Amino acid sequence: MTSPSYVLLFALGLYVVAVLEGWASTGRLRLARPLRAGVALLGRETVTPRRPDRVLYETAPVLLLAAGLLAAAVLPLDRGAVSVDLATGVLFVNSALAYVMVGLVMAGWAPGGAYSLVAGWRFLGQLVAYSMLIVMPITAVAMRAQSLSTTAAVSSQVHLWNLAAQPLGFALFFLAAMAVCFLPPFDLPVSSDLAGGVAGEYTGARLAVVRLARVALVLTLSLAVVVFFLGGWLGPVLPGWVWTFVKTIAVAATMLVVGRLVPRLREEQVLAWGWKYGIPLALVNILWVGLTLLGVR
Amino acid sequence: MTPLEQYGLLAAFVLSTIGLVAMLRLIARSLGGVRKEPGKDVPFSGGELAPKPVWVRYHVHYYGFALLFLAFDMEMAFMYPWAVVYQELGLEALADMAVFLGILFLGLLYGWSQGALRRQ
Repeated sequence: MTSPSYVLLFALGLYVVAVLEGWASTGRLRLARPLRAGVALLGRETVTPRRPDRVLYETAPVLLLAAGLLAAAVLPLDRGAVSVDLATGVLFVNSALAYVMVGLVMAGWAPGGAYSLVAGWRFLGQLVAYSMLIVMPITAVAMRAQSLSTTAAVSSQVHLWNLAAQPLGFALFFLAAMAVCFLPPFDLPVSSDLAGGVAGEYTGARLAVVRLARVALVLTLSLAVVVFFLGGWLGPVLPGWVWTFVKTIAVAATMLVVGRLVPRLREEQVLAWGWKYGIPLALVNILWVGLTLLGVR
Repeated sequence: MTPLEQYGLLAAFVLSTIGLVAMLRLIARSLGGVRKEPGKDVPFSGGELAPKPVWVRYHVHYYGFALLFLAFDMEMAFMYPWAVVYQELGLEALADMAVFLGILFLGLLYGWSQGALRRQ
């Protein structure tokens, strides 16, 4: 695989996730929906609010998109096929995803609307709830890989996927990943009870960027789940990148569909459950991985 | 690739994202501007203007969680290097981190018992 093909594969992934998102929310599988929606949004008026915080208002969608793309850049698609093989890749994924919160709070604050501002603060609370559940399972993955490189995280799963080695970590990371991409039931920042929340004051081309950023986040987080827990490119017969692609799309479809079966969670519920059950369980997971690794030696 | 080149590439990713967004904005602008209409640019607030700046009062009632979050976030900074050398050091490393995490976890339990994990 060559570098341009990474970009093409990621673009194809974006398209498939956008189709799946439409399918999950409307119940109909329409292949042209992302393109039609994109053209329609670009053709609409791009209204600017009356007194926006101009710098934050223009930066927020770009930051949101950049956060998702940067995190994806350090995740491997195949053996030796990774855009940027950082020695501290795992840590970089974390730091890139932290900017999702920054982008959403900026987008909530900037237009000067009460509803979007409340939505922004709510997402800050959601970050306090999910952040540890992103970081701690990844630490357990790094313990097994003995490295912070994302490729090492995959090659450590040759004999046993992390899904089987640390199922608790997988479950927590999966839920936290849904909270990062503010998918239902964690869709507080864009919820309809706040008239669209953060996305409510964005129109036209800016809204197109926000939507694209959300799709990119879903794809990136699914890829992260696959790399850290589902053995990345590992699989029989087919080439590695096909396995990565198939697994990533399967995870994305699950994330998009599963959350719609439960009612939306309030921010305080996410916070209380995250800290009362999530973090103790994440610590148990680290202890479990530590003990099994000692047993292996 | 050297680390410096890698970070250069990541910076290039950021620049190309900015370029992509700029391109989309230019396409949108070429398709038509915004018609001026009264009240169109007012942020949504249920049909009337917000009486004062909207940011004056918001009760950040998760401040208890936020304090706990700071403590745990600091702890994670120590856990990454620990995770890398864990298998070399073995039981000793587990004991070290167990003491550290144990104290922190007691703090969480204490906070829980004092009602810090409740909506304030």
